Amino acid sequence: MSAVKIFTPQVKLAKLLRTPGGLRVSEAVERAGQGLEGLKAECLTELQAVLEAAEACAARAGADYDEGLVAELYAIVAKPVGVPSVCGLKAVDTALVSLSDLLDYLKGRRSWDANAVAVHLRAFRLLLHTEGAADAAGTAAILAGLQQVAQRYAKPS
Amino acid sequence: MGLSPDSRARFNLDRASVLVLDESGMGMSILVQILTGFGVRTLHRCETVAEAKDVVGRVELDLVICDAMGASGEGYDFVEWLRGSKIEPNCYVPVLLTAGHTPSNAVARARDCGAHFVMVKPLTPIAVLERIIWIAREGRRFVECDTYVGPDRRFKNDGVPAGMVGRRRDDLQGDIGDALSPNMDQDVIDSMMKTRRVEL
Repeated sequence: MSAVKIFTPQVKLAKLLRTPGGLRVSEAVERAGQGLEGLKAECLTELQAVLEAAEACAARAGADYDEGLVAELYAIVAKPVGVPSVCGLKAVDTALVSLSDLLDYLKGRRSWDANAVAVHLRAFRLLLHTEGAADAAGTAAILAGLQQVAQRYAKPS
Repeated sequence: MGLSPDSRARFNLDRASVLVLDESGMGMSILVQILTGFGVRTLHRCETVAEAKDVVGRVELDLVICDAMGASGEGYDFVEWLRGSKIEPNCYVPVLLTAGHTPSNAVARARDCGAHFVMVKPLTPIAVLERIIWIAREGRRFVECDTYVGPDRRFKNDGVPAGMVGRRRDDLQGDIGDALSPNMDQDVIDSMMKTRRVEL
């Protein structure tokens, strides 16, 4: 058994937080929200670029599992997770996570399912170009369907 | 936790020195907007691990917010390097790790890299602020051993896993016996919780 040293280091951040001045929580959250609001247009442009890159990558796939291509597609779709929610497109975030899960499962099984990937990308396009809030039930049904597709490849627990 | 976005409580981050590591331009912009909204003035923006290591060596930091950086998991490696770097006081700095999607083979790395907290994206301002305040205030113990350097991962203290023998002095040993005295009456418990005026 190795020697274990346990100690409590001083955390300067705790002292800084308590120094006089600063902001109220409500004020800070509002200011941060306003800052994020200013990023919306940039985020939408970025997501459109991600969608096009993902579609182009998936279009290059053959019938068999290609480790490099799966890794490339995973890198494209996993990187922007968190960005859609800034634009109020939480459903797109959920779709990206579902596609990332699917690619992770496919990598684990060393298999490829072009239809499962394609249905995710079509849903990504649809959710990106429609107001999710306008048809909440439809959006929920799409996301539930995507999750079912991805979970087909999840390892049995 | 449970910080309300309407809270009138005050906090001050305007003198904090914060390192943000994120390879994604949008991910970086989101964090920068959140942190500047919180009043942070000194932000060290790093898009690569090499840049972040350079900042760690030159500047005293109060907080690090680091992205896991996708499938490569370079973010985990950076936190592990930071903890083992012996660059004081930065090696003990609170680290908030953010992750968009964690591949199944990286879950253990996320847990063991030495971060104080792992936040799953999407990030919201109130959630980020809640975690910053929490990791600053909790004063978690640090553990240093051959295989791990970082904050104690057993901060919930659910006790020693079933069937295992604890290795710490404060781990409770042995079986729990019968109670030696009757349970406290509910009125007594209530009176202990009740706020009372005291004369000094």
